Amino acid sequence: MDRETLTTTPITRRRLLAGGALTGVAVFLAACGTKGTAATPAATAAPAASATPGASTAPVESASAAAVQTPSAEVNWANWTYYMDVDENDANVFPSLVKFTDKYGTKVNYSEIINDNEEFFGTIQPALQGGADTGWDVVTLTDWMAAKLIRLGWVETMDAANMPNFTANLVDTYKGVDWDADGSKHAPWQSGMTGLGFDPAKTGDITSLASLFTPDVRWKGKVDLLSEMRDAIGLTMLKLGLDPAKPTREACDAAVAELMKARDAKIVRAFKGNEYAEDLKAGNVVLAMAWSGDMIQVLTEKPGLKFAVPSEGGMLWTDNNLIPKGAAHKYTAELLIDWYYQPEIAAMLTAYVNYVSPVKGTAEILKAADPEMANNPLIFPPADVQAKLHIFGGLTEEDEQYFNQQFAKVTGKG
Amino acid sequence: MGTLLKRHRWIAPVALLTPGILWLLVFYLYPAVQMFQSSLWSGSLEKGFEFSFSNYTNYTEGLAEYAPIYLRSIMYAGAATVLTALFAYPLAYTIAFKGGRYKNLLLFLVVAPFFTSFLLRTISWKILLGDESPILQVIHLVPFVPEDFRLLATPIAVISGITYGFLPFMTLPVYVALEKVDIRLVEAARDLYAGPWRPGGAIAGFIVGGGLATVLGIAFGWEWLLTGIAGAIAGTAIGWLFISESFIRVTLPLSLPGVFAGSLLTFIPAIGDYVNAEMLGNPDTMMIGNVIQNKFLTQNDYPAAAALSFMLMAGVLVVVAIYARILGTEELSASAGRL
Repeated sequence: MDRETLTTTPITRRRLLAGGALTGVAVFLAACGTKGTAATPAATAAPAASATPGASTAPVESASAAAVQTPSAEVNWANWTYYMDVDENDANVFPSLVKFTDKYGTKVNYSEIINDNEEFFGTIQPALQGGADTGWDVVTLTDWMAAKLIRLGWVETMDAANMPNFTANLVDTYKGVDWDADGSKHAPWQSGMTGLGFDPAKTGDITSLASLFTPDVRWKGKVDLLSEMRDAIGLTMLKLGLDPAKPTREACDAAVAELMKARDAKIVRAFKGNEYAEDLKAGNVVLAMAWSGDMIQVLTEKPGLKFAVPSEGGMLWTDNNLIPKGAAHKYTAELLIDWYYQPEIAAMLTAYVNYVSPVKGTAEILKAADPEMANNPLIFPPADVQAKLHIFGGLTEEDEQYFNQQFAKVTGKG
Repeated sequence: MGTLLKRHRWIAPVALLTPGILWLLVFYLYPAVQMFQSSLWSGSLEKGFEFSFSNYTNYTEGLAEYAPIYLRSIMYAGAATVLTALFAYPLAYTIAFKGGRYKNLLLFLVVAPFFTSFLLRTISWKILLGDESPILQVIHLVPFVPEDFRLLATPIAVISGITYGFLPFMTLPVYVALEKVDIRLVEAARDLYAGPWRPGGAIAGFIVGGGLATVLGIAFGWEWLLTGIAGAIAGTAIGWLFISESFIRVTLPLSLPGVFAGSLLTFIPAIGDYVNAEMLGNPDTMMIGNVIQNKFLTQNDYPAAAALSFMLMAGVLVVVAIYARILGTEELSASAGRL
């Protein structure tokens, strides 16, 4: 890993709203076709199947579970954009996947088609609801969406016997989440922190979340908050001294009221997805709720900016690999998920995507190859920072709706 | 074949209509019916939805809760429509009457922005209006502009974005209408002593300019009295200097159908637009499209979203129906032909 690869890492995973706006149309259509009762599997499975040619022709190894399991010819993976190590000379070659193919002979149909959790959910939901194969063997989704799929019973249980690296190398922080207590249905892929991004030249040093809610002339009207509900509400709860791991409705109301005050005081300029990064770069905002992964990228372009995990604490979010119910190549999917729990492979990935790795030993490997990166606190947060990070607690469907509804009032969309 | 068509005269029209009707049935009527159906659901994504006519409350509640946002959408779309008309009319007038052999080139330039994606164009507005963009730096040189004045994330940015996005939809129909105006009629009017329109032009300019500036001032939260006076002065000057009687009595009446057609082509998509508000606005400038999008995608509240969309659609349909009754659809289809 050299500096060049680092600086040419193009765009972060949480893509522009632009993609979301377009795909929104697709989901709108998908949503129109949603019925409460069974959807017709034949019709709904078709789009997924066409996106992954050959999905039906490969052997179905779960049917022959009794026999010795062999990797299938193909495996289909839906992931977020720019979320895989890329060959320096060919953007369509993913070295860590090539190694997987070399070892097992399986062709990985790796598609970076996820731009938005909700939107992707819209595309697989009809098939899952109808009990059909989605066409995907591995999907990568953020905590709360993973929790939702698990809650709906739409995720396969992974066979630990096939996943020795996963069992051995998962960092302990990630174990025992309340939505998948035994950890058999999800495997963390990459994590990121949510904290504060700011321009110290304009704002001075900022360490506390309270700044977001203080009408200071230096940043009044020049503050972006995240449009991601769990990040915005979570950080606000931390500011109020509440625990985001226990998201009650009372806590939600308190956070919403606090956000409303900041909005009415004209401190907040807008609620943004990862567009806040553009705003920071362009100088439209000088203080924002920010994602660590974005900030690594932004810092290469505007080195004066800073990212801080606030004194009150920051949020930790994780994207997870899941095997959707009815996946045709479950065994191979397990091998593939496990593949990235080898520290050497995880290091290849981290060196490229710059997110926080959930795999033990990644830092040690990188220390030899790229000490500067191994010492980057945004990629390998030191223990005292890790201690300040909070994971947003699981929500029931009713509570989730309530939270989203209340938050929509703050963003002006509800 | 020829004799077959002659004997069965109904074949040709049916054959010609079939593709379009099928298309509309599948991609318009079916989703519309489904949307109407889902607007009467209750329940949730995970528990399943149930249909019942008693869920008409989705409509009443939606209307009660989002009336202010509907109102804002109407205001923004209306303001954008008026602004496109004001910009497009002189533009179309110039192309139609002074364009000469550059007419086609100029028309091409009007639609040229469409060669770029709508989203990219909106994103470039963000760059243009950014707090540290050259435009803002120039504005800040003007005395009395407050230190924290900005364009991005304000209603001005949203309305400007919509105005820009739909300008060609206004320009082309107006151009079509203007081009059909027989220049001999204008000459005849001049022969009959139609000169500068005074003092009518000044009075009309005073009323239109003053009124429009006041409304915009209120919409943007400016000193509306001040903007109103400025608008009235500008309107009076323009009306006094440039408006001729032949224009008022001949050209304008003949071109009005084009303006009305353009207004619909602008207003209808503008009222449902959510991209401009999302990218250029702030939480206080969200339009009904943003609410519907959030309900569909984030809250998964399909029934409420469907009810809101349906009310929007029904409202727009009523407007179109009234329009069609009053003015006929001839101009609309004529301009659509140009597009």
